[in-house]
This record gives sequence, structure tokens and C-alpha cells, in this order.
Amino acid sequence: MKIIERMNANPTQEIKTSKKKAHLSKGITGVLFASPWLIGLFLFYLIPLIVSIYFSFTSYSILQPGEFIGLQNYQELLSDNLFLKSISNTIYFAVFYVPLSIIFGVGLAMLLNMKIKGMTIYRTLFFLPTLVPHVAIAVLWMWLLNPGFGLINGFLDMIGISGPSWLGSEKWSKPSLIFMSLWGIGQSVVIYLAGLGDISNDYYEAAEIDGANWFQRTFHITIPLLTPVIFYNLVMGVIGAFQQFTLPYTLTQGQGKPANSLTFYVMYLYDNGFKYFRMGYASAMAWILFVVIMILTVLIFWSSKRWVHYQGK
Amino acid sequence: MNPTMLKRWKHSLGHLVLIAASAFFIIPFIWMVSTSLKPIEQVFTFPPEWIPKPFAWENYLKAVDYIPFWKYLINTTVITILSTLGVVLSCPLVAYSFAKLKWRGRNLLFAATLAVMMIPGQVTMIPLFLIFNQLGMVGTSLPLIIPQFFGVPFYIFLLRQFFLGLPDSLREAAKMDGASEWRIYWQIMLPLAKPAVLAVGLFQLMASWTDFLGPLLYLTNEDSYTLSLALQQFQSKQGSEWSLMMAVSTIMTVPIIILFFFLQKTFIKGITFSGIKG
Amino acid sequence: MSIKIGIFGRFALASALVGSLLLSACSNKGVSGDTDTTKKDGVTTITFWHENTGVGEEAINDVVDAFNKKHKDIQVKAVYTAANESQNEKLLTAVAGGNPPDVSWFDRFKVGSWAEEGSLTDLTEFAEKDGIQKDQYYPFAWEEASYKGKLYAMPVDTDARLLFYNKDAFKEAGLDPEKPPKTIAELESMAEKLTVKQGKRFKRIGFIPWYNQGWLYSWGWSFGGNFYDQKTNKVTANDPKIVESLQWMTDYAKKYNVEDIAGFTDSKGSGAMDPFLTGQLAMHIGGNWSISGYLKYKPDLNYGVAPIPTPSGTDFTSWSGGMAVVIPKGAKHPKEAWEFVKFFGSEEGQEIYNGKYKTLSVIDSVNKKLGYMDHPIFREFIKILPNSHNRPVIPEGELLWNELSNAVDNSIHGNGKPKDLLDAATEKVNKALK
Repeated sequence: MKIIERMNANPTQEIKTSKKKAHLSKGITGVLFASPWLIGLFLFYLIPLIVSIYFSFTSYSILQPGEFIGLQNYQELLSDNLFLKSISNTIYFAVFYVPLSIIFGVGLAMLLNMKIKGMTIYRTLFFLPTLVPHVAIAVLWMWLLNPGFGLINGFLDMIGISGPSWLGSEKWSKPSLIFMSLWGIGQSVVIYLAGLGDISNDYYEAAEIDGANWFQRTFHITIPLLTPVIFYNLVMGVIGAFQQFTLPYTLTQGQGKPANSLTFYVMYLYDNGFKYFRMGYASAMAWILFVVIMILTVLIFWSSKRWVHYQGK
Repeated sequence: MNPTMLKRWKHSLGHLVLIAASAFFIIPFIWMVSTSLKPIEQVFTFPPEWIPKPFAWENYLKAVDYIPFWKYLINTTVITILSTLGVVLSCPLVAYSFAKLKWRGRNLLFAATLAVMMIPGQVTMIPLFLIFNQLGMVGTSLPLIIPQFFGVPFYIFLLRQFFLGLPDSLREAAKMDGASEWRIYWQIMLPLAKPAVLAVGLFQLMASWTDFLGPLLYLTNEDSYTLSLALQQFQSKQGSEWSLMMAVSTIMTVPIIILFFFLQKTFIKGITFSGIKG
Repeated sequence: MSIKIGIFGRFALASALVGSLLLSACSNKGVSGDTDTTKKDGVTTITFWHENTGVGEEAINDVVDAFNKKHKDIQVKAVYTAANESQNEKLLTAVAGGNPPDVSWFDRFKVGSWAEEGSLTDLTEFAEKDGIQKDQYYPFAWEEASYKGKLYAMPVDTDARLLFYNKDAFKEAGLDPEKPPKTIAELESMAEKLTVKQGKRFKRIGFIPWYNQGWLYSWGWSFGGNFYDQKTNKVTANDPKIVESLQWMTDYAKKYNVEDIAGFTDSKGSGAMDPFLTGQLAMHIGGNWSISGYLKYKPDLNYGVAPIPTPSGTDFTSWSGGMAVVIPKGAKHPKEAWEFVKFFGSEEGQEIYNGKYKTLSVIDSVNKKLGYMDHPIFREFIKILPNSHNRPVIPEGELLWNELSNAVDNSIHGNGKPKDLLDAATEKVNKALK
């Protein structure tokens, strides 16, 4: 909590209009402004959350309340091979996907932020993959990546490379998935674009006067001022990567094939909760995941002091 | 090279890169549209064909007839508009409070806001369902709309980032003029955050528009179903109506594309407060 | 700038107003649309949830209409739920919330786990009272609908797995298209003759044991194995015969290089993307539900079906699943619901449903009445049904299924020995069974 507090410590200089009364009313205003969320947070998020902590100590099965079994779920997880496998798969995915999505996302956004004709059309095109339904995307990719007649191996063939069997190969299935996921980064590109639009032109004008080149402008103005948005996408990217579910689940019909190389954490959690009726066990998994993501997020917040720059300050 | 030449050269290069890259990104969409226009026997040919022969325009009529399309379209639209409205009204307000106002417990609550995103929805789904069940809302579209009016953590966090980026000097100046916090928010800060608010609105719009699990769990009356549920009707164990499914998908996608096309300008040009010096 | 703000503000305000109006309208609609109008003028309306689409939905509606015509005092309302077999959250949440439908469509595979959870109404007494008996149905169908000696579901359709083979491919390879393989050895040698490989790529694969319906259940039983011992309530997936079958699959994978085959097995889509239709796969283990798809996408496909080969070339078998109708726990009108459940499972209901949908009935006489014996493909399915197995009805059926599927996948990819993998799977499931 300390860390968040510190990073939150806006140098909002208290206007010296003075004293307790103003301060108090301001506190009330803040609470008032946040009040819808106070209710929403409690009702729609915290209650289910707290209930799930309790579940993690029981043999709850959705259909039956089950019994209180203490730490048994957690203990059992430690010796569950598929659980361990799903962790390593998920970490593999996150380690590659998150940085790549930021690099590609920022790169694309900068490309799409150029002042040239027809940009509105380009931007729309880049956003398209996020609009196509998941089922269609999964089917399409299976065809593109088909080892025998897929477009991608066809292309590799043309340049003399014999392509792997992609989704059919244990070694290539995860890279394929990362590749596919990068395709749908339209949403984060939109956020980056909004962030780029947020950067005041003054900075560039000043830089131009100083004779800064493109490279300097990018790394001394654009990227630093984009850091609040990068920060957001980093945190959300980590959360999203660790909760990866829909795409691999649709792709493999829930089986995580080949050889469990696409069995991700939440897929296994889902199977436990909804297929094996072990919601208690699944809740324990969720809370382990929670701790992991929490630690990573705290680390990101803690480090953000060094690299996130808010224009407002 | 003179500056105009350089500029022109740079622009052509930009176009080249953009065209190459967008060719890659447009594939799924082209694929969807092309499939939607294919006669059934052509859907799965080897190698895949991109141009339907002949164009089966009637797929669209068939698809719309296959399901109560207009009814579902209205249902989907109502849910989408209301939940988007909910997000646009609640999230910036809360985010502003987290970013710019000081109050007791703020940091704790912000931490909680982040924390609730870290638990996979698969686990909280059942307790949440039971809450709506207790509230007597199962069977109505309210569970798909109401929560949005109370804020969504993803968007609150995003908007908070944007508010943090707005200079405090603006607030202070307004305060000096005796403006209330509400006025500062409504008349100064919110308009400045318009691009981000629009982005968030667009995300929610897309989320509601394509949401499958929510309607599946909460709607029990066929008259109140949404289009994403209807997509499921084209699938069956004995072979799916792929081209009809893609036709409905295309119909569902086009309005969002148009919306995005016109809204996006705001993302970029939205904030023109360069006149206001920080 | 102030003008700009004004417009934005006013827009927001106006939309808020419109929104709240719409909201109230919409909530009213929702509530009134769902009020419980179950009893009116002595007529009880019961709700029936199902997830069938297309012709399947029409078939269900035909059954419902026939029932409604017969019963003045009970009216069934069929509701399509948009759920699918693999994701059953809708029924699950409804039961958990205490507000389930009176009757639900249900995969018999799940009877064991749901019955163990006490979430299905016991139908035994209803059945006894109305004289519904085991011997009216195929043994596997009744067994799969029962758990610990009690009836929990009414079976309504079924399926089976057979060897599908492409007769044209047989002719091309110089094989007799009327003599499909009977033994495993024949299957292997024919597959070899049918396979055309160019470098790493197959122009045509003769056979892939684990493709489509080539589950371990299909092979384990064909090799003479047994997956479950009812007396001890223990899973026996490490039965030597089952290990043998997995060893055979693994050797096959090694011989043809599993990574090379993977393109066909793991990147396959549904419908006519099946390499069997394109002639790229000469034989495979498939189910009867594929027939209508083949007819739709490639009506001139010249193929035949035969029992799954066994090591000895005799004792052919298969396994069958299928759907059922159940009364979830907490249903408001179990008695009336039973009337409908009974009707669906009766010869009359069976004939209407399976006749329309071209599915296999769980009653042998209905299948004969529907003329399946005159159809060269369907006939083979009807012939195998009396000898078909059902998957063990245990609370951990899903776990067993996934464990077996993982064991096959790992084994053919060379991650572990068949015996060890099946030992581990057996132990895991038995531990969960306790």
C-alpha cells in the first residue's frame, strides 16, 4: 500500500485558501465523486472476491457448498503436475507477449500518428482484427497456419524455408499463439493513440527550435510522455497475459493440445471449476494467481516512480 | 534534398510501410466478408479461395431470416447503449476522484480497484450470479447494464492515468476563481479527457456488443436474446452454417467500424489545450 | 472553448436523461417477460431448455408440439439457451441459483457427476410406476442414464463410432473397396499402401489412429480392455489391453512422425475441412453425426463404414454417448415434467425426434422402423449398437476423459511411456473418486 501511496503522492500543491474546513469538504467531495464505485466495488467485485477466498478453503462444487478443508486445496496444487505445467506455459506466454505487445503497440501507434493523408483509413484497418468474432479468428488462424496448405508456410516455401507445423508442434504452438495475440492489439493501440494525442504540441515546437532530430524527439519527448499510458498497458498486459483464456480454449477445444503445451493457467482453472466441479480447488488456483499478479503489479508500481512521467507535474 | 522533397519522401515511405502492415491486419476481416459471401460448398475449399464464385449475396437474406434478427438487434443495441452510457458517466468521475482529489482511504480503494482485476472472472462468476439472483434480476438484461453505472475497474484505471496527466495548474486557477469541484470536473477536466472517455466508451460498446457469456447466463427469455447468442445458432454438431454466421458477424461489425472511423479523429485532435501553458 | 464544453456537457446530460428513461422501460420489459405464469386455468406450463439448432431444434419443437397436443393440462415451452455441450454454465448457474427449468437437455456423459452432486431428480420411482423398463432400451443407454442403480435421465438419442474409408482411395491404391480392414495388422498394411508422402508432407495419409473419434475409448475397448470396475468402483485405465492399444498408437506415431501428421490432426477445423472429404485422409474413426455433413459438402463422396478393427478381427465393438432429458433439482413441477420426459423417451417421441433429425434412437425397434437398416451406412451403425459400450458413469467422468486424452497426446508425442502415463492417469482419477 505504501508504494501506491508514494506513487500517488501528487505534488498537488494545497492551495493556501486554508485550513481544516476546506480540507474536510474536499475529502467529502472526493468520496462523493467516487461513491458510485464504492457501491459497485463492494457489491459486484469485493463480495464475490471475498466469497471466493472462502471457497478456496472448502470443497465447494457450485452445486454443493462442500466442507471446510483448510489448506488442503493449496497443498494438493503443489503436487498437481498439470497445474505446474500450466504455470510454466503461462509464464512463457507472459514473458514474451507483454514486452512484444508494448513494443509493437507503441510502434504501431506512432506509425498511425503520422500526419499523412488517409490516416483515418489506416487506423480503421489496424483496428479490424479486434472486431472479428473469436470463432472466426480461431478458424482463420488454423487455416493460415496449416502446415500443408496454409498461407504462412506457403510463403516460407517460396523463400526456401520449410515451415514447422505451428499449432501442431509442441515447440511452435506457443510462439504461434503469441503471434496470433499480437494481431489483436488494436485496443491498446487506440489507448496509445489517445496518449499520443495527449502530448502537447509545445514540446515538439520547442524541440524543433532546438533542432532535435526524429530520434531525439521520439526518445526524449514522445516515449517519456507516453509512459503513463505504457504503464497502464503494462499492468493490464500482465493481468491479461496471466488470465489468457478464450483464444487458446477455442483453438484447442479446451484440450490445450498438443501435449498440453497450450494448457494455460485459467484454462486449467476453468476445467477444475466447471468440468470437474471443484470450484474450491479452482478458487485456490485463482488466489495463487492473484498473489503472483499482485506481486508483479506492486513491482511495476514501485518501479514506475523511476520511469513514468506525468505531464501534469 | 530540400525540406519539401524530404517530406514527400518521408510520406511515401510512411504509406508504403502502412500499406504493407495493414495488408496483414486486414486479412481476418476480408476473410470474414469473403466467407460470408461464399456458397456453402466453397467455404472450405483447398487451398482457401479469397474470392467467392459466384457471390452469394442471398446469404445475408438467409442469415437475417434464420434468426429473429431485428428483435435481437434492438435488444443488443439497447443493452450496448445503456451500458456504454453507464461507463461514460461513472468511470471518469471515479477516475478523477482517484487522480485529483484527496480523501481518506483513497489509496486503499485504488489498490482494491486494481486487485479485483487480478482474480479471474471464472471464479467470481458464480457468486456474482447469486448476487443478481438475490436481487431478482436474473432473467432481465439489468445485470448486463447496472454494474456499468457503478464503474468498471479497467476503465477507471485507464482514465485515472489520463487525469494524472492533466496539469494541476488548471484546477488551481479555477479554484482561485471560486469554482466548485463539480464545476471544475464537469466544465474543465472532463472535456479535456474527452478523447480518453470516448476510447473507454468505445471499448465498452464493443464489449457489450459482442458479449456472449453475460447474456448466456442472465437472459432466460428468448425474446430478450442478443445477436452474439444468435451467432451460436449457426453452429451444430452436424456441421455449421459458416457463411451465414459470417454474414451476421459482418453485419455486426460494420456499424462499429463506421463508428470507429468517425470517432478516431477525436482521439488525436481532441485535446487542443496547447494554448494553456502548464 | 466554453461553447465546446457546453455542447459536450449538454450532450451528456441529454443522454443521461434518455438513458434513465430507456433503463426503466427496459427493466419493466425484462420483469414482465419473465414472470412465472406457470399455472393458469388448470394448465401447467413447464419450461424446457435445450441447445439444439437448425433441424435439431425443429425436431425438438415437433416433439413438444406432439406432446402439447396430447396434454391439455400440461403445456411445454421450449427455450433455446445458446449454450453448447462443452460449456454448460447456463444450467449450472441456474441450478446453483435455485431457479432451474423444469426439464433440460443434458449430455448423458455428465449424469454421474451431476447425480453425485444431487442436482438431478431421481426418476426411478416415476419410471417404475409407469412401467418404463431397462430392457426397452439399448443396455449402454440405460446404464449411462443411471447412477448407483438409480435412473436420473431419460436417454433420447445416441451415436456410435466406426471406421470410415474412402472407396476411391482404396481403388487407387489397388485395394478392394469392398474389403475394409478387419484386424489391426490389416489396418496397418492398408494404411501404408494408402499413404502418399512427399518429403515431410503427406499428399494422402492412409490412417491416423487418434484422429477425430480415435479416442483411447475407441481403441481400448476394441483391444479388449476395460476402463472401469464397477465392483470396486475403481478406474482401470491401466488395463494391460488398454496399455497395448496405446502402445500401438504410439508406435504408429513414431513410424509416420507425429509432427508431420500434426498438421492434419491439430489444425483441422470442422465441417468439410475434414481431410477425409478432400481425399487427403483415406480412413478414420468417425461418428454417425458426420454423415449429414458429408452429404452436404460432398454428396458424391464414395465411402463405406466398417467396425473398428480389432487385433483378432472378431469381437467388434464401439462406444456410444448421446443426449438425454433430465429434471434438474429444484424444478418447480417435477410431476408434470416427468410426463414430458416420459413422452420424449417413448417410442412415439423417439420416432418423431430421431426421424426428423436423422439421429439414432436409443430404442432398437424405432431405429428399424425409421428404415435405417435399408441405408448402407446407417445399417452398420445400427448393427454395432447392441454391442456398444458407454463411458463409465462416475462423478469424475470429465477428469477421466481429459486424463485419457492427455495420456494419448503425451504418449504419441514421446513424452512418457504408455504404461506410466496410464498408471498416473488411473491413480489421479481414483484418488479423486476416493
